[in-house]
Amino acid sequence: MRPFAFVVFDGESLSTDPHADGRRLRIDSRCLSGVRVEGAFAHVCAQPGRDAVLRYDEPEVQQARRDSLEWWIPMLGDELVCLSTFAVDASLCGGAVTVARNPSLFEDDPFARLFPGTVVETDDFCEVPPPPGPVIERYAGAPWPGGGFN
Amino acid sequence: MELSPGAPFPDLELPDHTGRSRRLSELAGGDPLVLLSSRGWWCPKEQRYMRELCRVQDEFEVAYSRIAVLSVDPPEVQAAFRAGLGARFTFLSDHARRWLPKLGLLEGTDTVHEPYRPAGFTLFPDLTIHHAYNGYWYWGRPRMDELRRDMREISQAVRADWRVPA
Repeated sequence: MRPFAFVVFDGESLSTDPHADGRRLRIDSRCLSGVRVEGAFAHVCAQPGRDAVLRYDEPEVQQARRDSLEWWIPMLGDELVCLSTFAVDASLCGGAVTVARNPSLFEDDPFARLFPGTVVETDDFCEVPPPPGPVIERYAGAPWPGGGFN
Repeated sequence: MELSPGAPFPDLELPDHTGRSRRLSELAGGDPLVLLSSRGWWCPKEQRYMRELCRVQDEFEVAYSRIAVLSVDPPEVQAAFRAGLGARFTFLSDHARRWLPKLGLLEGTDTVHEPYRPAGFTLFPDLTIHHAYNGYWYWGRPRMDELRRDMREISQAVRADWRVPA
């Protein structure tokens, strides 16, 4: 399986059609392959402009991922469907998306410290086991937590 | 069950600290793994040792290595303990003691809690045991420098590009 798929964000809506109008962002492909969860909510922490990027190595991006492992994923518990950062290329992060069955906790999303969050209703995402670690991006532009050495 | 170097560690399937079912192989995720069985949150030795682990978790995270802790505490108790420690690694709950007798890690001298005996296993990504530590006495547990050594040895064995490609 290719380690990333594409979503397109136009500032208000999120599409899994890579040819839709808006900003195309890489996402962990597992989020879009499998049984889709209907009636979910995506918290899209990104902006439609292509200049809205941070390096994955920036301390604030590192810390958002540590916070995900430490308390964000446990806090969401069974509400979590999946989450992924948005990779622009092998080094740049365009934000992240957290998909949950209930949007009530999105105001605590650690990735909203990077880019402002937009809540979008969605039926497009699949349940993915939450990552146990590590917190650094890895391989050839695969968005965290996806990818692997194989 | 023989839990000695070279033997396969069983691919445990247990709830994690959020109550979600996880497999040990999934937690390894293709990386070297340290698995520690633990008496439980109430043991002062465990509290001390877990704080030590938290101090090296940053290193594990940037070195593509994993940590997991196994105890009989229920998931909600593990979640509270984990949060109090500031741990980011995964706790596995064998509250029903499904694996405890099979693994032969019962802490026989504790007649109250029926907990795991403290032990440490450094595992290859396929869960083959690299090194086993008997932590019944506190000093038997793997020191942080021993974990670093084991992670280096496993990484050296499994990372095809350990030697910088020419």
